[in-house]
Amino acid sequence: MRAATLIRLSTAGNRTDTLRTVLTAISAALATTAMLAAATVAAIRGGEPVDQPDGSNWLAPGAEHYTSPLLREPGLRLGVIFGLLLLTLPVLALAGQCIRLGAPARDRRLAAIRLAGATPGQAVLIAVAETIAASILGSAAGFGLYLAVRQALHAPGPDGRLRLPTDMFPTPMSLAVAVVAVPVLSGLIGLLLMRGVAVTPLGVVRRQRRHGPRPWPGLAIAVGIVLFNVPVWLSERMVLSSYVFGALMLLGTVLVMIGVVVGTGWISYTAGRLLHRFGRGPVTLLAGRRMMADPWNGSRTLGALLGAAVIGGAAMGYHALFVSQGRAEDQFGVLIGMPADPEHAAFYVNSARLVLVAVGVGVAVSAAGMLVALAESVVARRRTNAALTAAGTPGRALAGTLLWQTLAPLVPALGLAVVSGLVLVRSIYHEVTVGGGTTETCTDPAADLETCARTVVTDPVVTLPVPVPWEQLALLTGGTILAMTVVAGIGMLVLRSSTDLEEIRAA
Amino acid sequence: MTAPLLTGTGITKDYGATPALRGVDLSVAEGEIVAVTGPSGCGKSTLLHCLAGILRADHGSVVFRDQNIGMWSEAARSRLRRSEFGVLFQFGQMVPELTAAENVALPLLLAGSGRREAREAALAWLDRFGVADVADQMPGAMSGGQQQRCAVARAMVTRPRVLFADEPTGALDQLNGEQVMQAIVRAVREEGTAVVLVTHEAPVAAYADREIVLRDGAVDPTGLGVGAP
Repeated sequence: MRAATLIRLSTAGNRTDTLRTVLTAISAALATTAMLAAATVAAIRGGEPVDQPDGSNWLAPGAEHYTSPLLREPGLRLGVIFGLLLLTLPVLALAGQCIRLGAPARDRRLAAIRLAGATPGQAVLIAVAETIAASILGSAAGFGLYLAVRQALHAPGPDGRLRLPTDMFPTPMSLAVAVVAVPVLSGLIGLLLMRGVAVTPLGVVRRQRRHGPRPWPGLAIAVGIVLFNVPVWLSERMVLSSYVFGALMLLGTVLVMIGVVVGTGWISYTAGRLLHRFGRGPVTLLAGRRMMADPWNGSRTLGALLGAAVIGGAAMGYHALFVSQGRAEDQFGVLIGMPADPEHAAFYVNSARLVLVAVGVGVAVSAAGMLVALAESVVARRRTNAALTAAGTPGRALAGTLLWQTLAPLVPALGLAVVSGLVLVRSIYHEVTVGGGTTETCTDPAADLETCARTVVTDPVVTLPVPVPWEQLALLTGGTILAMTVVAGIGMLVLRSSTDLEEIRAA
Repeated sequence: MTAPLLTGTGITKDYGATPALRGVDLSVAEGEIVAVTGPSGCGKSTLLHCLAGILRADHGSVVFRDQNIGMWSEAARSRLRRSEFGVLFQFGQMVPELTAAENVALPLLLAGSGRREAREAALAWLDRFGVADVADQMPGAMSGGQQQRCAVARAMVTRPRVLFADEPTGALDQLNGEQVMQAIVRAVREEGTAVVLVTHEAPVAAYADREIVLRDGAVDPTGLGVGAP
């Protein structure tokens, strides 16, 4: 098959196919932009301590022209890179979700192409090529967006300082990785989704599982939490490069996110089984069976949301840590008669808040994606729903089924995501300690420090527990469930129109 | 003569500017099987939908047991279809995620029956239609004929007074079609259920007690149905 034929066949389709392509491209553009932003911050040099022959050290130049300490200090820059890379994960999950949109229509098209003589491999290639083509377009758009935003936001202050690193450009290697990574990952996700799918000339057959999903992803969560702790444990025993430190933490976080997202398949199946077994009416029977029939639907539709929730849980853990740190420093300052710098603690607290705002944006993006997925699933079941309605099934029963299907996997999966994110942080920091050091001072405070008789004073120790941020957890979890209930409510409007009996002739 | 159970009088229905039915009169007695035949696009399915309360006629009335159901709300007509009517289509009626037994039990569960009671009734009906062996199978694992027998069992499980069947054998081969029709006729005769049967197949129409022929949205006075030379 020639490349032109492949492109033509992979881009053919109806409005839903176009919508899927556009949404995949938008997701790819957002992910690429976030990766390019991370690569730009990674290109900044300066602020690192440089050891001198006389034993002293000074900070390397290069970053002092940025107004924000997030860009000036190498340790904080690492956190920014970490946060930006983590933000790409929910967006990539959204891309994976978009790939499923309009699947029934695409399946029919692929079957027709097989009927016309395409091999099974060519049919899979056509399906994956569409995703890759959309991602390449998205990556190119993301690169363009990055350049435009970089240009638009480049505004040095009167003192020549910059709020954003608009004077920096990613290294050629990181630029290439950022632009190529998204299409490659999207292609891999597409291949993964086509695994177990046989495209035959008579239709697309999906392999039926004999058993439901297993709870193995729980192991990934546990390993991820351990991996997140490893660099802290190692740094107490050896010198650890900040990049190795960050990479191990990132890997741990990614493992936890993968565990939560994949584990949602098991949660969905188990929740469906419980609903089916213990539910009393037809609504829970239908919802339970549907959840058992396609348990991975939860992973697909909630993936982006759960990724954001893991980050949210971790950000809340850090927020609680920074607040406790600030309180401990205040108490320590009172004890030694030297008030703590309030801006120091406030800076970290505000940084954690910024991440929470980003999580809120992530939840909103996920809610939009979920609405599309929900509408798509309603349309895909249009014929069955119309027949059920014609046979007298009340609309509220179908609506109730939709609500159960949305919330039954969401609530436990969201709880797992938020708690996993929180545990990542709390496994390391469950209390803060300030003071406890020693200071050499003159026995006579009025004497000359160089010549006086000295004494060693032990500083007081302030140890405070880091509280579990219950209120914030409840706010994030409750707010997300509320947002998803609203999404399900909008989905019900689509359901209502798709079961309109005037539509039955078209069903 | 038995008093009509269901009577449609002067039923008119338009889809936008396209007339589908133009003043159709039709009555069905208790236990009677009436076939509605005619060429494609003549309004057969629309007439069935109006009689079953799925669609509301623009003009005319549909009277079931002395009640003009055309005046009823959608919710009331839904309840009627759930309790007194059975509806059977060509395809797309089985919920793919439910087993055959659960599909058949669904109308009873919707009516408030307990799960065990509904399952027992479903199994009994599946047995009557010779598909008890697929009770715990999903529709995807069943043949077209088995699926349609399950669909008939689901339409009959509430013991409806009228069964509305729209091309019930349209998706089946001749042998399976005949087997399904024989099963339907046996069941409705035993239950005393009236049937409105829409079909364009002469062998299927032959199972009816009476045949109404539609042409261009009106009853053909010649009565020359699909089996006519």
